[in-house]
Order: sequence, then C-alpha cells, then structure tokens
Amino acid sequence: MNLTRLATDFAGIRMATPVMGASGTFGFGVEYSDFLDLDQVGAIISKGLTPLPRAGNEGVRIAETPSGMLNCIGLENPGIDVFLRDILPKVRKEAPNTAFIANFSGSSVEDYGIMAEKLDVDGVDGIEVNISCPNVKEGGIVFGTDPKAAAAVTKEVKAHTTKPVIVKLSPNVTDITVMARAVEKAGADALALINTLTGMVIDINTWKPLLGNVTGGLSGPAVKPIAVRMVYQVAQAVNIPIMGLGGIATAEDAIEFLLAGASTVAVGAENFVHPDAVVRVAEGIDAYLEKHNLSHVSELVGKVKIG
Amino acid sequence: MNETKKLVEIGNIVSNWELSADVNALVLECPDIVSVAKPGQFVMIKNEMGSTYLRRPFGVADVDKEQGLLLLIYRKAGKGTQELAQLDDGAPISVEGPLGNGFSFKNEGRTLLIGGGVGIAPIIYTARHLSKELDGPKPVILLGVRNHKELFWSDFVENFAEKLVYTTDDGSYGRKGFAIDAIPDILKEYPDIKHIKVCGSTVMMKGIAELAIKQGIECEVSLEKRMACGFGVCLGCTFEGKSGKRWKVCGDGPVFDAEEVFG
Repeated sequence: MNLTRLATDFAGIRMATPVMGASGTFGFGVEYSDFLDLDQVGAIISKGLTPLPRAGNEGVRIAETPSGMLNCIGLENPGIDVFLRDILPKVRKEAPNTAFIANFSGSSVEDYGIMAEKLDVDGVDGIEVNISCPNVKEGGIVFGTDPKAAAAVTKEVKAHTTKPVIVKLSPNVTDITVMARAVEKAGADALALINTLTGMVIDINTWKPLLGNVTGGLSGPAVKPIAVRMVYQVAQAVNIPIMGLGGIATAEDAIEFLLAGASTVAVGAENFVHPDAVVRVAEGIDAYLEKHNLSHVSELVGKVKIG
Repeated sequence: MNETKKLVEIGNIVSNWELSADVNALVLECPDIVSVAKPGQFVMIKNEMGSTYLRRPFGVADVDKEQGLLLLIYRKAGKGTQELAQLDDGAPISVEGPLGNGFSFKNEGRTLLIGGGVGIAPIIYTARHLSKELDGPKPVILLGVRNHKELFWSDFVENFAEKLVYTTDDGSYGRKGFAIDAIPDILKEYPDIKHIKVCGSTVMMKGIAELAIKQGIECEVSLEKRMACGFGVCLGCTFEGKSGKRWKVCGDGPVFDAEEVFG
C-alpha cells in the first residue's frame, strides 16, 4: 500500500489513509490488533461515550436482516471518566500512530459542552458529536432531527474544545441537507453521514418484536445506496469536508462515496464480518488509484459526473 | 483471558454429514486455529457463498491437531445453517477464532460434564481433553436430548466417558425427564465428582447451577447469546453478573463461573 497517495488531512485530523473504523463497530480500536495493522487504519472512532456509564438496552440487541443487521445496543459504554482514566492511555500506548476520534453524546446541550471540554486532551485528535443514535433518548436523536437544536449543540461543543469537530448526522429526517447546513453554520468542522436508519423486525411465531428495544438501527450493505445519495446531496449543500459511511464493505463501495463527495470514509458493520475490512478497503482504494494513474485519493472526491 | 492470537482462516469442508433430521456435523480443515483452540472456546463462521450477512458462533466440538481438523455440530435451524448443510466437500468456509475463554481445569477430583441439545457439542472436546490430554479420571457425561433419535452423540463421547447417561424428553431412551433429574443418582454413585461443566439452554443451566451451588460443587456454565462480532466490539452479548460487573459473553466467556451468572 502506497501511503503517500492515501495520507489525508480531514478537517485538521491527519490520517494515514482516508478509511476509518466507524463508531460502535470498532471498539476502541485495540480490539482489532490481531486482525490488522493499526498503523494502516485512518482513524479509530470510539464507541459512543456518555457522561455516565450506561448498561445499554435489555433483551435481544442484534438481528440479521437482508444484506445487513439491526442493532439496539443502547450506547453501552463505561462513561467518559473511565474512558479518559483507563482506556485512552491504553489505546495511545498500543496504537500511538493512529488518529483517534472520540464519539460522544449527551442528553442536554450543556452535557455536550461538558463532554467536549473533558475530551480536549492529548491523545484525542478529533471529536465526533453524535446527535443521531436512534436507540436511546439520551443518544442525541432529539438534537439530530431539529436543525435549531443541532446548531445549538454544535455551537456549545465548538465553544468548549480546541479539537476538530465532526457532527454525525441522522438519515432519519426529511431533508438531510437542512441539518447539514445548520451545523455547518454553527461552526462544525466536518460532517459524518449516515448513522443507522431506524428499522424493525417482528417474530411471526411470537408476534413480538425481535429486538428488546422494539426498533433498532439498520446498517450493512442494505443501506449503502441511501448513504451514497445523502452524501451526494450534502456535498452539494455544504463547503465542509464529509466522512461518508453506511454499508461500506469493499474498496468499490468506498470509491462511490468519494466520487459522491466524501473526502474520507468509515467502515461499520462490515468490521464484524471481516475484521480486516478497514485496511482491505484502503488497499483496494490504493490499487484503484494505481490502475487509474491517480497520484492522490483526493482526486476522486466529488468527481461524480452528472449530466 | 484468551491470550491466543485470533485468526481468520479459510477452512475447506472435509465432510458435512447428517446426524439426525435436524442436526449436522461439519469437519473443516483449518490447522492454524485448531493448533491453538481450547475446550469450550468457539469460532465465528461465514459461508462466503451464502446469503446471510453476519458470521455465526459455533462451539468447538472437537479438534484433530495432527491433521488440523475442526469438528462443528449444528442444528439446521435457520437460513444460514440450512445453506451450510447443502455444501459439498471442498467448499471454503471462513473461520474466525479461536474466540473466548474455554473451561478451566484443575487437577483434582472427577468432572461431571452435562450437555443439552446442540450444547452437547463442546462437551466432546472437553471430555477428550479430560480423559486423554490431562490423563485424569474420566468424566461422567450426562446428556439431555429430545428422544432416542438423538443418540448419535455416543459415537463422539463414549470413549472418553467413565459413564454415559442420557435423559430424553419423551422417555424413549434412558431416563425420562430433564438432565438435572439424573444428577442426584450420579453424585451418589460418584462421590469424587468435584466439578460440573454445563452447556445447554439457559433454563437447564440455571437449574443445574443452583443445584451445584447448593451442594458446594464448582460449576461452570457456557452461555450463548446473539452476537455480531465475537471479539468484544459489537456489545450485542453483554450481561450484568451477580457481582454487578458487566461481562461480554464473547470475550469474557462464553464459559463463566455459575455463581456469577446464576448465584
């Protein structure tokens, strides 16, 4: 893999490649060290952190669906304080060269500011504001479906951090470009899209929902065309860089997102199935650049030909 | 903790045959995983030609380290396992493992191994390990099955058992009832039993765990829960133990001390 043509600066976060491990599917990164070389991971995006530890939802949390999966984990995490005290030092020791982005959410605008300030420490290269977890009330979804609330959270976070701020958008809205523009105007340095789509599975033997939380977030290859469309629309609407994600399993999938206007991508559910996926996708992009005689991955960004 | 490096290996099918109307055995050639797999650990497998998306967890039923062969036993319960049952010899299966921590072994007393349904699978390797690799007293093996059509398990375990006891739901073979009903007689006959290891349904394991705890016998249970990854990142399989600590079935288990789960 030729890292010079893959090295990417994403809103001030320097990455070895433009391919990251998406929040909630990549642990804290070090869990993958048996399967891939963490130096070749663009960035580790942490499991969603909350102000206090969370046990997550009761009952069944995972369901297979056609070409994908539903989850309703419910932001199980040890809380930000344990993360900062115990986990971050371990990650920085085991993956000293990999960019680390902390994903977090709160239940009030003030929470987001407090979290952002706590995360404004060495070892964190950027922060991803989750206003789009569909599975818990406190997961920010109330902020992710109202442009005014999304802007207020973004402003609060920006006022409490020196790190690049990425806002992760929900696809569960009528017009995602309205949300994108609102958070751009409020000062977001970059956008990540899409989070999962709300879905449901019913067990026809018991007549009950399969998932403990009734509904869950859909991810995997099934959502990819929706995600590509949304990245394309948002790229037309804003001037800040975009991280594209949603169903990426291969380099070909990732290249679609780049052409649609994303300057970086993240691999999500596919990490569960093929735990070397983040690096495999980066290698595939590199091979594509070689084949098409391109000197840097940025030459693909937004180059979809329309009309 | 599992300190063995986790691997993904393409294992070609060596054989895939029917044991009963709804249970199959599968032998895969995956020498790297087999060389380090311990009793009670599991693998996540994916038929890359199949129509399902996620990998599925399967307990390691047995290994042949010399030939690099892995035995899995599965119930044809859903689309993925039905497709798996159709595959011919030579077909490639992606195997990820070994995952989790296996059973613990102490050099004292006899072990009672109990399995229910396809939960009997990991009992095979555990029994072989106890009787052949550790060279201790052979375990007593108690198997709970539906009926006399599920006695195929004998072929896999009888050589490793001091005594093999069946219970059937319908009384068509052995003792009628649940596995737990046979335990008092076994403990009377083998007072040297110091450990119980169980893999089966939650209801079965709960009852046996409570009995073992009451009698002061060390008991380990092997849990099964829906999971997407198998190595601690999806958090689909977590639960709160009796100590209040949160555990991942995949990474911290699947084997747990019975007191922490059911105590």
